[in-house]
Amino acid sequence: MKVLVAVKRVVDYNVKVRAKGDGSDVDLNNVKMAINPFCEIAVEEAVRLKEAGVATEVIAVSVGEKPCQEQIRTALALGADRGIHVEAEGRIEPLVIAKLLKGVVEKEQPQLVILGKQSIDGDNNQTGQMLGALTNMPQGTFASEIKVEGEKLNVVREVDGGLQTISLSLPAIVTTDLRLNEPRYASLPNIMKAKKKQLDVYSPADLGVEVTSHITLVRVEPPAERQAGIKVEDVAQLVDKLKNEAKVIS
Amino acid sequence: MSNISPEILQALQACVGESRVLTDPDSLALYGRDWTRAHAPAPSAVVLPGSIAEVQAVVELARARQLALVPSGGRTGLSGGAMACQGEIVVALDRLNRIEDFNPVDRTVRCGAGVVTAQLQAFAEEQGLFYPVDFASSGSSQIGGNISTNAGGIKVIRHGMTRDWVAGLKLVTGSGELLDLNRGLVKNNAGYDLRQLVIGAEGTLGIVVEATMQLARPPQNLTVMVLGVPDMAAVMQVLETWQGAMDLQAFEFFSELALQKVVAHQGLQRPFETPAAFYALLEFEQHTEADLDQAMALFEHCVEQGWVVDGVVSQSVAQAQALWRLREDISETISRWTPYKNDISTTIVRVPDFLAEVEAVVARAYPDFEIVWFGHIGDGNVHLNVLKPDELPMAEFQQRCGEVSRWVFEIVQRHEGSVSAEHGVGLLKKDYLHYSRSAAEIAIMKQIKQVFDPQGIMNPGKIFDL
Repeated sequence: MKVLVAVKRVVDYNVKVRAKGDGSDVDLNNVKMAINPFCEIAVEEAVRLKEAGVATEVIAVSVGEKPCQEQIRTALALGADRGIHVEAEGRIEPLVIAKLLKGVVEKEQPQLVILGKQSIDGDNNQTGQMLGALTNMPQGTFASEIKVEGEKLNVVREVDGGLQTISLSLPAIVTTDLRLNEPRYASLPNIMKAKKKQLDVYSPADLGVEVTSHITLVRVEPPAERQAGIKVEDVAQLVDKLKNEAKVIS
Repeated sequence: MSNISPEILQALQACVGESRVLTDPDSLALYGRDWTRAHAPAPSAVVLPGSIAEVQAVVELARARQLALVPSGGRTGLSGGAMACQGEIVVALDRLNRIEDFNPVDRTVRCGAGVVTAQLQAFAEEQGLFYPVDFASSGSSQIGGNISTNAGGIKVIRHGMTRDWVAGLKLVTGSGELLDLNRGLVKNNAGYDLRQLVIGAEGTLGIVVEATMQLARPPQNLTVMVLGVPDMAAVMQVLETWQGAMDLQAFEFFSELALQKVVAHQGLQRPFETPAAFYALLEFEQHTEADLDQAMALFEHCVEQGWVVDGVVSQSVAQAQALWRLREDISETISRWTPYKNDISTTIVRVPDFLAEVEAVVARAYPDFEIVWFGHIGDGNVHLNVLKPDELPMAEFQQRCGEVSRWVFEIVQRHEGSVSAEHGVGLLKKDYLHYSRSAAEIAIMKQIKQVFDPQGIMNPGKIFDL
């Protein structure tokens, strides 16, 4: 079974992001970039399927500018067999990414596509679902456990207030939630091997997709700063403030 | 309970204000001790001065009434240097916690002695700078205490000890004088550098009340590697290989047993499944991809030589932090076995022989004890931890470890090392000071103490007895 995994290059989630001075965007100058955490989980799951003998080949795909090849190399170091880079400039919207991934799906004919449920920069939570619609493949979103059984894929989903298990016919799409697995470290011998693995580069035109834009980023601003707390003198003052200033008791 | 006389209590209150003198049992127990548990705290009072003038007033009173003072910072020391066991008055510097006079040109900032290390680190970060002395207790430890113990920690190989970051300091001596030492100068060869004498003096010469601290450029894109290494000799080869080619920010090591305990008790992931006797943790700045390529080439070389069996590298800040926890959580993890700790150093080149000798001695005498090794090694400092078997009573364990200590320190002496690499001498190590300092040296230290503190009121009984 061939598995396609999508990975996205995003700001490292431990980095404190800052808005640009003019509020036009997030400041990405000299900021540490990393693989989107949900995509990392997707790669780990695909590699585990391969280690279990279920998957025969794992292909990592990323859409973006040249530097996102670093994240493809990370996926290759984690155990993916080969990479595909769809080179595209600027801010690519989920719909365009879904169309580009559809192009890759048509080329590669994977039985399973695993994506992160969302990226931590755009927070859109759309690409997997859109890809499902475009390819007419069934989808299991927010997966916390997946298991291939014959021609079926059982997906345990994290839904409000509990878990839901669904069974999908293959080929299918899965988007990962946080508890699906704990990704491994990239071992140094595997990083070296990854350098020799095949990495193909496509343009959107190769996949028959025109990059369009429907969304304009108007403004980025940091959250309002929290006011410093104060120390009250006694219980009476506390009650007074809760009543009259915070208005949380009456 | 405090048995302080009402008259002295009143005099102390006159110095610092009524509410700033504490004599309740909880406060005495809290302020009277550091992280060590070998002695019981028994101070007679705790004072919390709010200014340098108030510290001076307390010292004047102590001089007039011959009262012993114990200066106290974050009380995270591991040698009993801040213990008050004999009715001393604890002078807690918590309230001298202002950070002011930031000087962007000199990259210095003036800190009260009570500024918490993490507070200075956060301040530096806000200015786009970096305070590089860092260790597990940075959220509690204070600058005054760091200076008095010359605190080290995990970045010493690259940035040195606290000593290297003190541009100036103010000290109230045991004779009540306020000394303003070095005043932030970079170059100052006009006579003895008394500042350096005060750093690491563990409060025996006076009370550090303020310091001008140097700040640095922040490191960029820190990347962490953990390597599996078959033996200590190979650890040294790995260190030599890397130091010859890259500027390392840190080079730490820990044993397989340390890793097993941390993984089991902190729910952390093993870096890789290949077992190894020791693990080396390296941290370096990755300015460009060429830095990583360089590190990869060094790794390949080490594998070819048989010095390294496997390794991982952090791909994100989260992974770097998780890998650091494998090393930094060891102390907390093994605290459940109330370990007998030794903080020893030799020159870097002698570490492997030294370690082998210590291990042989302990294994021969006490085959039932578990030994956990970890440490900074890039600077020659290793921490030897002997874990208490659950069934062994505490008193017997301590007594047996006391014997081990003597053997260990004899080995330290033979290797011309130090019985206290970064924790200081305090109460716990003073019986062993002579293993690393000559009689002539100790005699001079005592004379210096008498010049600064003629009445012997400053942290008496610490480092040595007069």
